[in-house]
Amino acid sequence: MQDVLLQLQTEALAIFLNVKTVEELEAARVEYLGRKGRLAEAMKELAALDVEAKREAGKIANDVKRTIEASFQATEARVVAGAAEERQAQEWLDVTLPGISPAVGHLHLTTQAIDEISGIFAHIGFVRSRHPEVDWDYYAFESLNMPKEHPARDEWETFFVGEDASVMTGEKGKVVLTPHTSNGQVREIEKGELPIRMINIGKCYRRQATARHLPMFHQFEGLMVDKNVTVTELKGVFDYFVKRYFGADRATRLRPYHFRFTEPSFELDISCAVCDGTGKVDGTKCKLCKGGWLELGGAGMVHPNVLKAGGLDPKEYTGFAFGWGVERTMMMRSGINIDDIRTLYKNDLRFLTQF
Amino acid sequence: MNILASYNWLKEHVKTKLSAEEFAKEFSLRSMSVESIDNLGQRFENMVIGVVKSIAQHPNADRLRVATVDIGEKEVPIVCGGTNLAENMRVVVALPGSRVRWHGGADWTELKKTEIRGVESIGMICAPSEIGLDKIPCGDHEIWDLTSVINAPAGASVAAALDCNDTIFDIEVTTNRPDAMGMIGLAREAACAIGGDFIPMKTLPPYEGGSWREVLNVRLEDARCERYMAAVIEGVTVGESPWWMQKRLLFAGLKPINTIVDISNYVALELGQPMHAFDAESISENTIVIRPGKKGEKLTLLDGKIVEIDSSIMVIADAEKALAVAGIMGGKDSGTTASTTTVIFEAAMFDALTIRRGSRAIDVSSDSQMLYEKGLSPSALPMALARAVELAMELAGGTLVDVVDVYPEPRKPRVFPFDPEQARRRIGVDLDDAQQIDILTRLGFSVAKKKLAYSVTVPYWREDDIEGEVDFTEEVARMYGYHNMPAVLPASRPPAGFDDASLDWAMWTKKFLARAGFSEFFSNSMVSVTDLEMYGVSPKDALALYNPLSTDITHMRPTLVPSVLRAVERNQAFTNTASIFELARVYVPQEDQLPEERMMVVFGEYGIADAEKTFMRLRGVAEYFAAKSGITLTFDRAPKNDHWHDGRTVTITFDGVTVGTLGQVAEDFQHSFGIHRPVFLVEMNLEVLFPAMQRAQHYQALPAFPVVTRDIAVLVDEKTEFEKIFSVVRGAKSLVTDCRVVELYRGEGIPSGKKSVTVGVTLMAPDRTLTSQEVDEVMTAVVRELALRVDGTIRG
Repeated sequence: MQDVLLQLQTEALAIFLNVKTVEELEAARVEYLGRKGRLAEAMKELAALDVEAKREAGKIANDVKRTIEASFQATEARVVAGAAEERQAQEWLDVTLPGISPAVGHLHLTTQAIDEISGIFAHIGFVRSRHPEVDWDYYAFESLNMPKEHPARDEWETFFVGEDASVMTGEKGKVVLTPHTSNGQVREIEKGELPIRMINIGKCYRRQATARHLPMFHQFEGLMVDKNVTVTELKGVFDYFVKRYFGADRATRLRPYHFRFTEPSFELDISCAVCDGTGKVDGTKCKLCKGGWLELGGAGMVHPNVLKAGGLDPKEYTGFAFGWGVERTMMMRSGINIDDIRTLYKNDLRFLTQF
Repeated sequence: MNILASYNWLKEHVKTKLSAEEFAKEFSLRSMSVESIDNLGQRFENMVIGVVKSIAQHPNADRLRVATVDIGEKEVPIVCGGTNLAENMRVVVALPGSRVRWHGGADWTELKKTEIRGVESIGMICAPSEIGLDKIPCGDHEIWDLTSVINAPAGASVAAALDCNDTIFDIEVTTNRPDAMGMIGLAREAACAIGGDFIPMKTLPPYEGGSWREVLNVRLEDARCERYMAAVIEGVTVGESPWWMQKRLLFAGLKPINTIVDISNYVALELGQPMHAFDAESISENTIVIRPGKKGEKLTLLDGKIVEIDSSIMVIADAEKALAVAGIMGGKDSGTTASTTTVIFEAAMFDALTIRRGSRAIDVSSDSQMLYEKGLSPSALPMALARAVELAMELAGGTLVDVVDVYPEPRKPRVFPFDPEQARRRIGVDLDDAQQIDILTRLGFSVAKKKLAYSVTVPYWREDDIEGEVDFTEEVARMYGYHNMPAVLPASRPPAGFDDASLDWAMWTKKFLARAGFSEFFSNSMVSVTDLEMYGVSPKDALALYNPLSTDITHMRPTLVPSVLRAVERNQAFTNTASIFELARVYVPQEDQLPEERMMVVFGEYGIADAEKTFMRLRGVAEYFAAKSGITLTFDRAPKNDHWHDGRTVTITFDGVTVGTLGQVAEDFQHSFGIHRPVFLVEMNLEVLFPAMQRAQHYQALPAFPVVTRDIAVLVDEKTEFEKIFSVVRGAKSLVTDCRVVELYRGEGIPSGKKSVTVGVTLMAPDRTLTSQEVDEVMTAVVRELALRVDGTIRG
């Protein structure tokens, strides 16, 4: 009996050793370890033995069974691993196939800029206000210290609303498409909620249509009014914005300028990234900037007459304001070389989906 | 407005040792922006004066000649096409290595030694435009004849010979500072800005040595002329101005004409005061009348243009006819010429607004008009007139015989109080009184100490610009230098207001749609009547522009749809299908009020053939939008409406209010915009939704017991609505908790007029695991109900 069992073990181990595939493995398992397999058959014969011999042979039979099972498990591991290797060899991918882009939508460049700009100002406590884009000329001009004869109020610079050769007028003068977001200044001050740190971003309209100027464009207007607002704070805010939006390495400067609704007034310049503020590229004049500087936009201390128009005492309150073109600001940073700014609003998806 | 300013000229009035670059930098920081620096010395590098020795015909070209030119050390051959080339002519020779503009074109190119049609040519004999002097009069195909202009010998450098080792600054003068459009005013600014001494012009003696006769009669008949001065000089000889004067005009961008015209322009350039000169012989009865134009009056201007005048325009006339449009341009027949012997110089002060409107009305602009528009001072006239007389006597000879000054109401100087504390407060820098007063004084203001503060008298050249005390702050701040001030982040109280919620939600909505795969359009809010009419909108319902820029942008859009359809039409050729959106304010007219600026959104898909899927996707986006913003939208089949497809459209309602539409754009409008395939859009009025939108997120507990789903395919009539199926399935047994569309199928195996709807049924009990027997019972009930209520038969 012992011999039979040991013979069976030798045979089984030899068979498992040569097993190559999952199918062979299963056949071998059924033959030796199955319910009706040869080991099970041999075990049945144990019943016929006497007690002593049964104990003796039973022990050996158990050893044989463990050995065969261990061999089976090792073989199974070997065969499965081999099969996986073979499968992986067959499941080859052309890894040079191009990627498939996710089906995402695209926010317009202008929206992206507006979002980013308002985010930066939010960090230093400026909140976004909403003001009309079609407004009384009182808010667009009159209250901004721009007298009736000011050229900006002429028909050839500003769009007026009206029909049948008459301009629409109402409680606060003529109706205009606001040519700047500054119409929000007195409106904001009039709310009487002080102090003010406002950002007003909106559509503006001017009678111009060239590769550099659009009849509809966007501005963002900043307004801060409190008891002791100073030029140095405007400088601080401007510096913060430029470093966050354009990069920490950009320098800024305030250059004297003239606007009716601010006094003092200045233009805000940032150093040119192309020539690194030197004004020269390889010894010749930088084509992008003027002497190393790029104009970002206008700013100044709110004119006392504007504060008065909003109902504040200029002896008590001061403020600063700035207004810059969104498109211009965005183009200055992006390095997107759009020769013709009109491209922005042509709604060509081949353009829009690039961003 | 810009001025081209010679640094050499400026230095006659400002003491400075700064290089041109340093000067430009300092001046830009405190005064006005120097936009470019043109170094003339560099421009004329490798250019010399040449004298033409002999001329021979080019052997291989009819129109070219070969000149032998003395360039100092040697004589060189130069091929030249100049038609006026002559022996002994003094010319500009650009040698190899210099930079020239071929035939006056825009680009500068470096000249090289070359052969022209087989003949060696060392350099080029130049026309003025070829070396950047576009304003010098010179005929076509002619070269610049310097023989009578200068005396320099052959070989002299052009920069030295023409005395232009100079730098020209292009300076942007702000509109409030016409005084800086003159070299003297500019120099005064510069002196303060860079810290050098200002050297004023020498005071001119009163008109001496004249042989006085009252020859001119001036009648001021128009109050829009505040002051009128004129001087009459007899016996002048009008010729070419000396080079020094021509040169200054040229580099300022002005064209030399003749001695008298040049003097007028020169004085304007020097003092910023426009001048005009008449030939006395062209004036009848020695009378000058300043009066409103007469209706129907016509005048031929200096530039040949004939303008028609009315009373809104002021003219300078003689006893019979208009001679000039006051302040804008002189007449052709009354100007000075080579034969003029008696000249009348005019220095006048005209009303800025009259000049501006007049210039636009007759569509004529000039340097003079530009200066008047900005606001000048009548006090500037005596100096300007005296300077013109001085120069005329010097350059054209003659005798001064009459000076007239009509000034009915002389101005008083403007005086304002000044408190240095106000400046400190607004600037945020501790600038002491003395420092502030010094700045004002250097700029020409006179400062007097009063009991508590100061009083400042404004010099006449700033009287139009300075309107109050706050203006002094600016003078002090800019001259102290913004670059010297610290940058400080505001540390004061936070603002009282909060972000406008509608703007927040608008941005949220845009981001939501972009994440959902929609790309954003941004269209002009100004549209054409055609755009409106193509979408069946009456222009009467849109805000009209009184002065549109062109016929394609005449109205403010009251709806976004036409813009979106136009954009779809433009895109369909390049991008067959896309998901797009636009979110913007539309402008809805209101009686006697500003228009309502209503935030609208339109999103949709175009170019997709499967209407059902497109509809379902858009509805899904709208539903998800609502779910994410905490609102409930309902969708009901829309009543018949011209703008939308009858069978494929729903009305979107929020809280009982119609807020929008989802559906297919009516074919008529799709076709009117030239769009090939159906367009599905959702249009919603966000103003109604924004106030109700909220960021609150809702949590639903996960089911405690297993959820069972079973799919069944049911065959129903094509027009059986899912909502009906849904309610039948939901109502079949209480264990049914949800029901959704898994698949819609038509085609093989499905009779026409029918559709197969595979419905996913969700079953769940809150308190136990369902047995398969329970599930089977429910499904049996569902099948029975579907057969009974929607005539549905179960497939497979």
